Amino acid sequence: MDTLFLARLQFAATTSIHFLFVAVTLGLVTLLVGVQTAGFVTGKPVYERLTRFWGQLYVINYVLGIATGLVMEFQFGLNWSGLSRYVGNVFGAPLAVETLVAFVLESTFLGMWIFGWHRLRRGVHLALLWGVALTAYASAFWVLVGNAWLQHPVGYEIRDGVAHLTDFGALLTNPTLGFAFGHVVAASLVTGGMLMSAVSAFHLIRRTPDFALFRKSLRIGLLTTAAAVVLLIGFGFAQFGPVGQVQPTKFGGGPDRDALVAEWTAKFGPGDYVPPTLSNVGLGFMILIGFGLFFGLLIVPLLWRDWLIRLRFPLWVVLLALPFPFVAVILGWIAREVGRQPWAVYGLLPVDRAVSPVGSGLMLTSLVGFTLLLGALAVTNWVLLARHAARGAADPALGRPPAPDTDTHPQPVFA
Amino acid sequence: MELVWYALLGLFLATYLVLGGYDYGVGLLLARGATEERRRAALTALGPFFLGNEVWLVAAAGTLLGAFPTLEGELLSGFYPAVFGALVGVVLVTAGVQLRSRPHGASARAAWDRVVVAGSLLAALGWGALLGGLLQGLPLHADGHVDGVAHLFTPFVAAVALAMLTLVAVQGATFLTLRLPAAGAASLARVARRLVPVALTAVAAATVLGLLSDRVRAAVARPAVAVLLPLALVVALLVARAALGQGRSGVAFTATSAALALPVVLVGAALWPRVLFSTVDPAASLTVADGAASEPTLSLLGWLVLPLVPALLGFQAMCWWVFRGRTDGRAPVYW
Ligand code: HDD
Ligand code: HEM
Ligand code: HEM
Repeated sequence: MDTLFLARLQFAATTSIHFLFVAVTLGLVTLLVGVQTAGFVTGKPVYERLTRFWGQLYVINYVLGIATGLVMEFQFGLNWSGLSRYVGNVFGAPLAVETLVAFVLESTFLGMWIFGWHRLRRGVHLALLWGVALTAYASAFWVLVGNAWLQHPVGYEIRDGVAHLTDFGALLTNPTLGFAFGHVVAASLVTGGMLMSAVSAFHLIRRTPDFALFRKSLRIGLLTTAAAVVLLIGFGFAQFGPVGQVQPTKFGGGPDRDALVAEWTAKFGPGDYVPPTLSNVGLGFMILIGFGLFFGLLIVPLLWRDWLIRLRFPLWVVLLALPFPFVAVILGWIAREVGRQPWAVYGLLPVDRAVSPVGSGLMLTSLVGFTLLLGALAVTNWVLLARHAARGAADPALGRPPAPDTDTHPQPVFA
Repeated sequence: MELVWYALLGLFLATYLVLGGYDYGVGLLLARGATEERRRAALTALGPFFLGNEVWLVAAAGTLLGAFPTLEGELLSGFYPAVFGALVGVVLVTAGVQLRSRPHGASARAAWDRVVVAGSLLAALGWGALLGGLLQGLPLHADGHVDGVAHLFTPFVAAVALAMLTLVAVQGATFLTLRLPAAGAASLARVARRLVPVALTAVAAATVLGLLSDRVRAAVARPAVAVLLPLALVVALLVARAALGQGRSGVAFTATSAALALPVVLVGAALWPRVLFSTVDPAASLTVADGAASEPTLSLLGWLVLPLVPALLGFQAMCWWVFRGRTDGRAPVYW
């Protein structure tokens, strides 16, 4: 098997796993900001309990997500050194801003938020969570600036065979960026909202004694999902316009595509410039899921007088729908990324010139190693989330009030 | 301009080794803490800093990606096995520390603790091998192609990796003397003191092997630096040992931190103005200027990123300040 194929497979596998974490992170952090702020303003204890319970699930997911993100970041240098060599001057900038500006602050804030319960003033503690959420959005934005540039390179010129940055503003107004960012954010909110609704539905089906709490989070989750699905579908259809225009080879044939393929053949020599059909099949399924969720959410009016809970079967619907947003986000990314093949940078750098010149044995080892490792993390993540979700909100470790100081003879450590 | 960014890269990397160093050091020490409470106490001492420490690795990688794209590609793919091993280690530690306290069963916790130990071992050895590999150069061709991975499997690289492992262990033990309740600290000071001679031996072995290796001698552009800085490292370790003996944990921790930062300074200064020395074609060696991004990118990043470095330092300092002092029975337990 050749190095290129293995490297692509590795990127696809690791990014997909990473994004499963990211969607939950972005969605849940938004909801958490909502409940903690509500608690701060109203002073009602139910919001603090909601924050601790959902915060626990959020933190588990976040920390494992970081592990997958680290692998992503190093993968460009490990497997795609050609990308850095030819277009690093332009493509590296948004990714550097993302890591230096956003991630670095995000993790610092989150560490303080986890350990700051009952220790920092409530306002400071809340501000930290706002900081986590804003930097999470910033990081998603900058990573998409990088990805949008791969989809449609702008704001550069080629000198000495290498791309140089000429207009950073153009990267920010890239036609493949705006709607994609809206769509990704909406997709994450749908994912987070569905997760919250499904876990709450599970507890309500089991007739939890914590009825008030889970009733509240079912409402928050479902209403968020409903609002976000509308945005999601809007941004989704909006993408067809600009993307179809700048990437005529993506969504099927037409005179534009033939003209572009002819141009590339003249410039880069004969080759297969049409992406595999895989991408459009995925796209169709994603749209199907989008409409499925939309019509499924027609049950939202049943929230009135708790009919949704009293009838019970809608709770099952909510619970069983949980996998769909996750399937849809992966399909969406496959549509976007496979749809730009065979280009690492659309119309500029073919994938075979972007891949690192390392042996296929090494690449295979790393593919198997990282995929197994991250796959194991994803499975562990889901098992843990499920266990903690099932345990209920009685006493999560996160934000547990400190025990009275009875420990007068602390154990010596490592004696 | 490249010099500023190169210094910043060095700063991020050195800070990562200092801070991540005690994470992995504490991780290694879990192997000898017999009881569950002891391991728990050690991780509680790490608690609030853990997420903030790893950030420096991300910052270093981001700087490489944005300011040194060519270097990034060649460096990481050229030392593939070392980077791969280190990353697997970092991922295992990150996941293990977070997961160990989620299950309730003691055996599951012990199993996760072994994952943390293995991860710490890999991370320390991997980053050490990368630094050693840099000092000895790699078979780099002008087109960016590197011949195989055999260049990483030499006695010198192995010695540097082991030296890093011992430095990290000393750092972890010293950190715990600073953070644990006073009663636990004394016994750890003994552990740390016993580890210092091991580290000294490892550093000496690496230095001697380096002096004997003609590849290292060829790669090093400034022999004076390459001799003086290992001496400074030895001094730092001796200071740490003395301070540990007198119970002055703060001084000891400063000294061991210096010992972890020095290798980064050593590599940067000894190779300057090159970063990647080619053992097959000296003309193909990569200088810092060759590896850097072009001017518009660097100045753009300068405007966007440099103002944030003080903010980053400020928030990290706030974190250290809020959670300064020793842990006690009431410290929030999360890991
Ligand atoms: C909950 C997940 C989810 C759902 C239900 C949908 N999408 Fe989506 N879609 C994504 C999650 C997603 C995504 C993972 O977030 C992508 C990948 C790249 C991107 O920008 O968003 C995406 C990509 C993506 C693209 C590819 C853009 C490109 O190639 O550059 C198009 C055209 C659409 N979507 C359109 C839609 C439409 C018309 C939908 C519904 C009716 C829809 N999506 C539902
Ligand atoms: C997080 C969601 C993402 C997913 C699921 C995803 C998925 C994929 C897939 C499936 C491929 C392989 C395509 C193929 O070769 O057939 C790929 C390649 C790639 N993607 Fe993405 N991607 C994501 C986001 C990104 C982002 C944000 C970036 C850049 C900032 C990016 C950069 C790349 C690169 C460099 C390649 C390798 C070159 C190539 O084969 O085209 N991806 N990705
Ligand atoms: C559209 C695709 C992506 C989005 C929206 C995204 C967003 C995020 C978010 C919100 C986080 C923090 C939450 C978590 O860990 O779960 C994160 C983590 C991370 N991501 Fe991604 N990411 C994407 C793809 C990528 C790619 C292609 C890279 C490679 C450069 C990357 C590098 C990282 C790193 C290094 C971390 C860990 C940060 C830390 O230690 O704080 N991500 N990502």
